[in-house]
Amino acid sequence: MSLLLRTHLRLAKASIRQNRARSFLTCLGIAIGIASITLILSLTGSISSLIHQEVSGIGSDLIVVRPSRNKDSVTSIVEELTAANSFERSSLSLTDVSTISSVEGVTAVAPIAISTNTLSNEENTVSSATILGTSQDFITIEPLALKYGVFISDKNSENAVVIGHNLALNLYNTSNPVGRTLTFYGQRFIIVGVLEEIDSTINFDNVNFNNALFMDIEMMEKLMDFVQIQQINVRTLNTSLLEPISNNITSALKEHRYGDTNFSVSYGDSITHPASNLLTIISSMLAIVAGISLVVGGVGIMNIMLVSVSERTHEIGIRKAVGASAYNILMQFIFEAFILSILGTILGIFLGYLLAFLVSLVTPFSPHISWVIVAVTALTTIVVAIVFGTYPALKAARKRPIDSLRYYR
Amino acid sequence: MDDNIVIQLSGLTKRYGYGDTASYALKDFDLTIKRGEFVMIMGPSGCGKTTLLNIIGLLDRATDGEYTLDGEDVSDISSSRQARLRAKKIGFIFQDFNLIQNLTVIENVALPLVYVNRPRTVRLKAASAALNRFHLSEREYYRPSQLSGGQQQRVAIARAIVSDPEIILADEPTGNLDSRSSSIVMEELKAIHEEGNTIIMVTHNPALTVYATRVINMLDGQIDTDVKTVADHNLPQPVSVKTKKRRRNKSAEKEEN
Repeated sequence: MSLLLRTHLRLAKASIRQNRARSFLTCLGIAIGIASITLILSLTGSISSLIHQEVSGIGSDLIVVRPSRNKDSVTSIVEELTAANSFERSSLSLTDVSTISSVEGVTAVAPIAISTNTLSNEENTVSSATILGTSQDFITIEPLALKYGVFISDKNSENAVVIGHNLALNLYNTSNPVGRTLTFYGQRFIIVGVLEEIDSTINFDNVNFNNALFMDIEMMEKLMDFVQIQQINVRTLNTSLLEPISNNITSALKEHRYGDTNFSVSYGDSITHPASNLLTIISSMLAIVAGISLVVGGVGIMNIMLVSVSERTHEIGIRKAVGASAYNILMQFIFEAFILSILGTILGIFLGYLLAFLVSLVTPFSPHISWVIVAVTALTTIVVAIVFGTYPALKAARKRPIDSLRYYR
Repeated sequence: MDDNIVIQLSGLTKRYGYGDTASYALKDFDLTIKRGEFVMIMGPSGCGKTTLLNIIGLLDRATDGEYTLDGEDVSDISSSRQARLRAKKIGFIFQDFNLIQNLTVIENVALPLVYVNRPRTVRLKAASAALNRFHLSEREYYRPSQLSGGQQQRVAIARAIVSDPEIILADEPTGNLDSRSSSIVMEELKAIHEEGNTIIMVTHNPALTVYATRVINMLDGQIDTDVKTVADHNLPQPVSVKTKKRRRNKSAEKEEN
């Protein structure tokens, strides 16, 4: 058996070598499909590993409480994906923050409420800037550092705000506007601090801190009557206590809400889930689109194989006359399709990573290389080869020897 | 049954079309061929010679009738079994040589051994030996198109005998050759026959019947005349069959003891 396989392999190689240009173009069809899949998977892979790095950079002693609907509907998956922004009214409130603070083992609690408004001072106006309401613990939980001034705290006046690096530049054309004022919601605020510039724009809070303004959440509630708490970040004493503490938080919140569970408590890797779930869906959508180009490549293989089969009808007749069975002929042509698509895959993976590398030169993503990508592409290749190689091979195998022998080019 | 019967056809019929349009290439055809015979089949065009050869060679199926090849009833076997028997028991020689142009001469000769699962080195050695026999050793790595017609036909004969088949079928092997190449090819066939091979050959050329041990004239799908020029007991027998028989006799003796 293995002998015959080796023979088929040699035959296929010879036949591909005889039609170099044609084989190369056929491979290219597959290669383009595989390259786009590789590119997409590699880029989305790099994004999700960025998020994971972010989480592990903050430390693994973090618990995140997010609002969620009562899990009674099938659509809750979709809702969870967009949890950060889709709630008309967040189910978390400032009382929840104090409830969590009183749980044993919790060292710091920072709620995050997001709003947007137009900020203005004497010189500039920034429309739809992100305003982030939080507590003084925020700076100890997040991997942030102050460039100038101090962070908001009880010691400051209620009108104190801290702004991100880019926002400072946009509003005041300087990186150190500490002590200057700005206006929003018809109120005057004083800047007490400016954050260091942050490299990574992706984090588990879904906020770009460089462009945000930070203010006290209670002040925010006073201004707007209601705060949309997107999540509550909780730092704990000890990593090993994450599970019991998060259970305690859950039961404390539940008790406070008379049994309602319209919130979720997560820690460790699952903190990133909303973001990475969304990413997974987007990347698989993109991969499916790329898969369509792979189908086109597969049709190319089928086309070339059909040509090859009809060109070699006479040869098939001779082979059958000297003892080749239909199965032998089938294998011969399937092998040929197989080798074409494997060559295309190798070419495609190289091409894909080359493209990913080129993209990484102009974006913050670094190409993500993993065995999963290679496995996925290899698997699709096998499927493509089988799906598109079988029909021409069957056609070849089913030819009747006397008819084929009579056939001349 | 007689050990020496290689092919037995009885009531073989090949019909094309149905009802009013039915025409018969073979009609109730009976034929028995023994090991070591060199049968020439003659007859006008369309009398069913090639159809007969294709059916004997398991390339085609009869509509009706029975066909026993080397003791095995092959009338209704699967096409994969047909292929297997073609590989093991039948060697083909065609009028237009039917060599694969993309393969070298030696690869062409080795081709039948691919389908009986011989390792590559064994295949090439056997092919080389066969080519050597037909004085084509120097042409092993030529392409068929680089050879003359006579040389190509000798390559085809080498291919036909390389797997040591029970029967060799030749469909007008000299039809495309000039008289000089023809006589070389016929001498080679004669030599093969004298080693005990069974050959069935279709031809138009009455001059070639001198090589045959039996001449069959066909007419309208049936045998018109059937003349044997050599008595059965004078037919050459292959070495392998003789040794097989001897072995069989020995084992029979052992069983008796």
